[in-house]
Amino acid sequence: MTLAALSLHDFLDAFRFIGSNWSLLLDKAAQQLELAGAALGIAIVVVLPLGLVLGHLRRGSTLAIAASIAGRALPVLVLIAAFLTVFGIGFVNNMVALAVLASGPILTNSYEGVARVEPRVVDAARASGMTGAGVLRQIELPLAIPLLATGVRIAAVTVVATAPIAAIAGGGGLGDIIVNQAGYGFDGVLGASLCAMALSLIAYGLLTALERAVTPAGLRRLAELEKGNRRREAVPVSVIT
Amino acid sequence: MILAAGAPARPIVPNFGSGNRCVVENHTFCWSWVNAHWGDTLQPALSQHVELSAIAIGIGFAIAFTAGLLTYRHRWMSRPLEGFSALLYTIPSLALFQILVPFTGITTTTVEVALVAYTLVMLFPNIVAGLNSVPADALDVARAMGFTRRQTLFSVELPLALPTIVAGLRVAVVSTVSLATIAAFLLPKGLGYPIFLALKEPSPFRTEIYAAGALTVALALVADLLLVALRRFLVPWARRSAV
Amino acid sequence: MRFARMKTFAVGAVVLAGFAAGLTACGSSGSSTADKPKIVLGTKNFSEEYILGQLYKQALEAKGFTVSYKENIGSTEIITAALNSGKINLYPEYTGEIVQDVFHHASTPATEEATYQLGKKLEQQKGYTLFNRTPFSDTNAVVVTKATASKYKLKQIPDLSRISGLKLGGLPECATRFNCLIGLRKEYGLKVKFVPLAGISSYAALDAGTVQTAIGFSTDPVLGPNSKYVVLPDSKHLFGFQNIAPIVSQKLVKTYGSKLADTINSVSALLTTPAMIAMNKAVSVDKQSPQAVAQAFLKANGLL
Repeated sequence: MTLAALSLHDFLDAFRFIGSNWSLLLDKAAQQLELAGAALGIAIVVVLPLGLVLGHLRRGSTLAIAASIAGRALPVLVLIAAFLTVFGIGFVNNMVALAVLASGPILTNSYEGVARVEPRVVDAARASGMTGAGVLRQIELPLAIPLLATGVRIAAVTVVATAPIAAIAGGGGLGDIIVNQAGYGFDGVLGASLCAMALSLIAYGLLTALERAVTPAGLRRLAELEKGNRRREAVPVSVIT
Repeated sequence: MILAAGAPARPIVPNFGSGNRCVVENHTFCWSWVNAHWGDTLQPALSQHVELSAIAIGIGFAIAFTAGLLTYRHRWMSRPLEGFSALLYTIPSLALFQILVPFTGITTTTVEVALVAYTLVMLFPNIVAGLNSVPADALDVARAMGFTRRQTLFSVELPLALPTIVAGLRVAVVSTVSLATIAAFLLPKGLGYPIFLALKEPSPFRTEIYAAGALTVALALVADLLLVALRRFLVPWARRSAV
Repeated sequence: MRFARMKTFAVGAVVLAGFAAGLTACGSSGSSTADKPKIVLGTKNFSEEYILGQLYKQALEAKGFTVSYKENIGSTEIITAALNSGKINLYPEYTGEIVQDVFHHASTPATEEATYQLGKKLEQQKGYTLFNRTPFSDTNAVVVTKATASKYKLKQIPDLSRISGLKLGGLPECATRFNCLIGLRKEYGLKVKFVPLAGISSYAALDAGTVQTAIGFSTDPVLGPNSKYVVLPDSKHLFGFQNIAPIVSQKLVKTYGSKLADTINSVSALLTTPAMIAMNKAVSVDKQSPQAVAQAFLKANGLL
C-alpha cells in the first residue's frame, strides 16, 4: 500500500466518524464557540473602550503596540497553564487565557483606529464647539470602525481557532476529541480536526463578511485606494495557536 | 539469576533527597528547582525549541522569499496565493498537526511542515508588500541608470523592501516561537513539553510552568531584538521604525 | 558598498535556509541499513512509565547497548499500535493490561502468575514475548477525597451510589476498558457519568471538585502515608493484577540473546512496591527528574 493510499484510508475513516457522530461534534463545536464568545466578550468589554480612550487622547501608543507584540509572544499554552494555577481547572482559566489573546488585536486596532483619524477633522470638530467626548463619539468612532472591525475580526478568528488547545485544561470543545485519541480513536481525532478546521474557516468567512458590512462604503473605497498605493502594516498579524 | 515472584528482592532504595518545602508545597516559584533542573529539563527543552523554530523559519523564509519574488514578477499569482495563505492560517495548530499525521507520521517532519506553513502565511504577504512598496521613481532611476533586472533587484528593490520584510520576519519569528510550544503535544520536544508534564501532576507544578513559559517569551523577545539589530545593520538609512 | 552587503545577505539567507532544510531532511531520514535491528524503547504517557523507561534505558546503555528512546508515546492502545507497526520493539507493559486491553479477555486470571503466563502466551502468538515480571503491581484504584468519604460515609465502592449526579474522572482510555469504567458499571452496578481527563491529573480534578471520585493508581505517591485521599477497596478484584513485564519483539531477543534478557530482568527484579512508590514520590512530589531518580536507583544497586 502506498503512502497515499494509507493516508486516504485514514481520511475516509475520519469522514465516516464525522458522519456517524454529527450531534456529538455539533455539541462540541457549540461548546467551543461558547468559550470563544465569552473570551471575546470580555476582551471587547474591557479592552475596546480603553483603546478608544487612549487613541482619543493620543497617549499610550507604546502600550498599544506592546499589546500586539505580547499577543504574539505569549504562547496560549503558557497562558492556559499559568491561569490554571491561579483559577483552577474549568471554564474560567481558559476563558481568561483566550481573552488575553484576543485583547492584543482589539487594543491595538481600537487605538490605531481612533489615533489615525485625520487631525484636521478633529480640529474642525473642536473648533465648532464639540466636547472631547462628543468628538470621540461622533467623529472618531465612526471613522475608526474599519480598523475596529478588522481588529475584532482578527481577535474572533484567533480565539475560535485557538480554543481547541483548551481541552487539555478542561476547556471542552472539539479539542476534547482531538486530544483524546485513546477515547475516540485516530479516526475521531482526525474527524474532529477537520471539523475544527471547518469551524475556523466558517468563522473567518462570516466575520469577514460582517466586517465588510459594518464598514461604511466610502471608507471601504478609501481603504482600497490606500492599499493599492502603500501597504501599511497597520493591522498587526495575529497568531493562531 | 532468575527471581520468581515468591522470592522478594531487597533492593537498596537510595535517599533521593526530598524536595524542599517550596517544591513539595507547590509555591509560586522555586528558584532551587530551576537551578537543580536547568541541565536536565529546561536547557534541553530550550535547545530543542530553538532548533524547531529555527528550521521552520529558515525553510519558511526560503519558500516565502522565492514565492514572493515570483509573485512580484507575475502579479496574477498574488490574489490566489494570499487568499490561500489567509485561509491556511485560520487552521488550529492542533488540528493541522493531526491532519498531517497520516502523511508524515508522528515525527519532527510533521511538526516542521505545520510550523513552516504558519511561517509562510505570515512572511509571504509581507515580502510581497515590501517589494510592492518600492516607489516607482526609484525603479525609474534604476532604469535610467541602465541597471539590469538583477542589479535592480539587488541594488534597489530588495534594499527598499527590506524594512517591510524584516517587519514580517519579526512577526513570523515571534509567532513561530510561540506556536512551537504546541509541538509538545505530538513529540516530547521543545519548551511546551515541560508545561504539558507539569499540568499532568496531581497539583499542577507552578514553577515548571512559569519557568518554561518565561523562557519561551524570553526567546521570542531575544529573537525580535536580534532582528531589529539586523535591520539596523542592513538598512541603516531607515531611521523611522515601522513596528 | 551597502548594496553589496545587501546582496550577500540575500544570497546568504536563502543558502542558510536551504541548509536548514537539508538539516531536517538528514535529521528525519531513517537509520542505517544495517541488518541488526536497533533497540527502540518506548514508554507510555505517565510518570511511572517514564521512570521505568529511564531505568531500562540506562541499564542497557551501561551494558553497552545502543538504545533509541521514545518517551511519552501514549496510552496502551496507542503504544500497541506503535509496537505492531514496528516503530518500537520494546516497552514496559502491565500484565493485566495485556490480557484485558490488548487481547480483550473478559475474565481476569485469579493470580499474578496466571496473569503473567497468559499474557506471555498471547504475546508469543504474535511474535513478541515478555521478559520477567516485576514484584510490584500497580492497579487502578477508586479514589475519593477524605472530605467526600466522610460526608457520604463511603467505605466500599458500591457506597458511591449515595452521591447523586456522580461523576467519575479518569484517563480517556478508561471509558472503553472492562477493568475500568465498563466493569465499574457492570460489576459494581455504578450509575456514573465519566469525565475523561486528557491533560490534567485525576487528583487535580478531585481537588477542584470537577468530579467526586476518580481513578488513580495504587503506586501513586499521593496515596501514601498521610494521604488526603481515601482508596475504596476493590472487593470484586475487578482491577486484576498489574505487574510490569517488558514486551519485546522475538526478533530483538534472538539478535541480542541472553545479555539483553539478563540486563532487563536484573532491573525488573529490583522493582518492589516500596521501591516504586519511593521513586514515584521522588518524581511526582519532590520534582526530581525521572532520569536522575533512575540513575540514583541503579547506581545504589550496582547496575550502573
